[in-house]
Amino acid sequence: MNTTAIRLEIAEQQLDTGLTLLAVQNPGVATFACAVSLDVRAGDEPKKQSGLSNLVGDCLDEGTEQHDGLELAAAVESIGGALEGNQRGGLVMCPAEAQRAGTELLREMVLEPTFPGKEVRRVQGEVLTEILSDEDDPRTVAGRRFRTEVYGEHPLGRPAHGTRETVATLRPKHLRAFHAEFFRPANGYVAAAGPEAPAKMLAMLRKVFGGFRGKAAAHTEMPVVALPPRARDVHVPMAREQVHVYLGHVGIRRTHPDFYVLSVMDHVLGTGPGFTSRTSRRLRDEQGLCYSVSAGITPSAGEEPGMFTAYIGTSPEHRQKAIDGFLAEIDRIRREPPTQDELADVQAYLTGSFVFGLERNSNLAAYAIRARRFALGFDFLHRYPDIVRAVTRDQVLEAAQKHLHPEQMVTVSAGAS
Amino acid sequence: MTLSHVQELRLDNGFRALLAPRRSLPVVATVLWYQVGSRDERTGETGVSHFLEHMMFKGTQHFPKGQIDLLTSKMGGSNNAFTDCDGTAYHFALAADRWESALEIEQSRMRQCLLDPLEFASEKNVVLEELAMGEDDPWRPLYQTAESLLFQVHPYHHPVIGYKQDLERLSVDSMRGYYDRHYGPNRAFLVVAGDIDLDRTAARVNQLFGAMPANATPRAEALAEPMPQGERRAVLRTAHAVARLCLGFPTTRAGERDDYALDVLAHDLGIGKNSRLYRRLVLDEELVTDVSVINETRLDPGALFVLTELRQGADLDKVERIVREEIDAMAQDGVDKHDLARIRAQIRASFLFQDESVLDHALKLARFEALTPGGYKTLATVLPTYESLKPEELRQAAARYFAPARSVCVQAVPGRAEGNGAAAHKNGKAGKLKGGEPKDRPLQDKKDKKAGKARKSGRARDGKRKEKRRS
Repeated sequence: MNTTAIRLEIAEQQLDTGLTLLAVQNPGVATFACAVSLDVRAGDEPKKQSGLSNLVGDCLDEGTEQHDGLELAAAVESIGGALEGNQRGGLVMCPAEAQRAGTELLREMVLEPTFPGKEVRRVQGEVLTEILSDEDDPRTVAGRRFRTEVYGEHPLGRPAHGTRETVATLRPKHLRAFHAEFFRPANGYVAAAGPEAPAKMLAMLRKVFGGFRGKAAAHTEMPVVALPPRARDVHVPMAREQVHVYLGHVGIRRTHPDFYVLSVMDHVLGTGPGFTSRTSRRLRDEQGLCYSVSAGITPSAGEEPGMFTAYIGTSPEHRQKAIDGFLAEIDRIRREPPTQDELADVQAYLTGSFVFGLERNSNLAAYAIRARRFALGFDFLHRYPDIVRAVTRDQVLEAAQKHLHPEQMVTVSAGAS
Repeated sequence: MTLSHVQELRLDNGFRALLAPRRSLPVVATVLWYQVGSRDERTGETGVSHFLEHMMFKGTQHFPKGQIDLLTSKMGGSNNAFTDCDGTAYHFALAADRWESALEIEQSRMRQCLLDPLEFASEKNVVLEELAMGEDDPWRPLYQTAESLLFQVHPYHHPVIGYKQDLERLSVDSMRGYYDRHYGPNRAFLVVAGDIDLDRTAARVNQLFGAMPANATPRAEALAEPMPQGERRAVLRTAHAVARLCLGFPTTRAGERDDYALDVLAHDLGIGKNSRLYRRLVLDEELVTDVSVINETRLDPGALFVLTELRQGADLDKVERIVREEIDAMAQDGVDKHDLARIRAQIRASFLFQDESVLDHALKLARFEALTPGGYKTLATVLPTYESLKPEELRQAAARYFAPARSVCVQAVPGRAEGNGAAAHKNGKAGKLKGGEPKDRPLQDKKDKKAGKARKSGRARDGKRKEKRRS
């Protein structure tokens, strides 16, 4: 697809507080979305309060200085909107005709939460039940243990929800203190997407968020994540039908110069659509080992290093065969470059499918934030096809050799033995 | 909703196509919908509809194994499929300058699917793995048990994914017979939405599908489900640590006036933070973590489900009593007029959001075309119908559908005995239940489980049609 045919009108303004406002026009839709994404980092919550930032996000809509939780919900529902808090801010989606009201409610929820004691305790109880429920789910158990094994003491190694022990200690005062300290405008983003002209949406954002003041927060230095000295294998037995297996190690940041080459590698190896990737073709389509299989290093790349993660859910008798299958494909992609056809197919897919990520307002708002946060530039949309087409077979081979380390992989499984 | 942009084609062989131009982005979505699903399966062949859907990607005469995905990938697009009880749909989302290959693929697999025996054997393993995956899910057995209690005669009784023994015994010849009976232009329709040239698209549809014979047999009526003579109950002993509850009530067909009333009642009961059950069970009594209410009307009379997950130590019987109290209160008092205005706003917005992507738009047209008596044109009357519902009509609908004697109740209790994954009945018909068998619904997927819940402030996503996706 010729992405120059796609016109994406974006307006931007950085306020003196360091908050960046973004507005993206999505002509022809009758809906609107606005996202707030502040500079809240995984390392901002102390280890002994693991789960704090998650609970802050969950409790943002439980009451503000103007409305209690039910009043806030009724206000959103009455405009046909949906409002959701998260660890870095929140998102509102509503009909375009109600964009100002929706954005005001988003600002109120993100900037003026009161964290009422009764509601915080209630949500805390719900989170504790959720943790209990997750402890039942072998895929979640394996995924969390895998993350812990890969990241070690890095904050990303902790479960986002926290643990039963840490969550039980959290009090409303902890949530208020965390919010006051880290929900600051500096290095934060507010992005709106809808049918209005970008300049008009930007003016609206300025009115709504112009009063958001505060100095930049001080963030804790993140530790470096090292590869383990050698491969290791962990199994958590659970009485289930299937076993869920994760293999991998620490990966790359989104800003790594090899990101695009590795994105091509991922699609050849394990994230391609349908059953076009090597692992899905081999393990699912040819051997029938599983329903769900994937492998890739770029999907989790963010401000902090992500993970190279290979996943399969299979019957316990196929566990070793699946692991061997992954390792064989990882070995192969480190030994020989992809074929010319594989490379061409992946390039065609990546350059053509990009547009589908721009269809929804919430995706457009996220795209605008991502383009700025990772310094991609708003012309990224038009540069991307050339970046992908410039990737060569040898670059893929070189990147695979550099970034995949089968001899230092962690294998974690949970479920049937 | 304005439908003036939709052009309808009707070919002599019974094939229909809806063409819906939309030019905001250079993309096109196609949906080919077959009017066959698990509802059409005979005893002993459960799961064949869904399994066949998998096989439709394993090669046709013109597109050998792997080519459909590879071509889609080369075209920079995506494809997928789903099967539910009433239908099977195949869809593509592609760039506007290369989308027509999707039509060629659909034309080829309508009658030329290879059903290669070796591929059949390999894919059977994949389907059995998918079934096993569902068995580990905490919601699937709960929902499946409720459904099997609700539908004791109608084929909605059995899970879309089928029973393990049926799948293991299924032969490629049986599948071929099923394919020949149910797949043909007279049992299918196509939706194309996006940046298309109408005349060129119409000509291509005619060219590809017009000459195909109307081979498929007419769709058979399913056995009507008799009115329940009393409440039906089951208790599942599960390996999970959290207790869960599902109440179900038989309802009506999709697109009937009561379907709209049930949507409003579902919102009043358990969609959104201001719903009755959220306020009572989550906020006031703090007995459950969240609640979902799903109005799942279908081609034949469907059901409304209330699902909830209990907090640790909460009493299941007490939760059930409160659910029933709130349902009784709704049947007694109807829906408050302020709540009704709020619910209408939520429903109107949900309708708008279903048009944000071209594939969503195509699927919305397809669902209404497949499931409502008026077809896609029903879309023009949907919002006015919601607006026309009056409180007294809603109250009467609640009283009519939610009588305790019509209900089913399934409790999932932590503490499975060794080697016992089945249901223990309180009342109900012993031997009818297959407690370990999953219902093929993504309700179990964490993503969807959360999406259907009330915790988020404001509009809940439409939980109406639950599907099984291919990957």
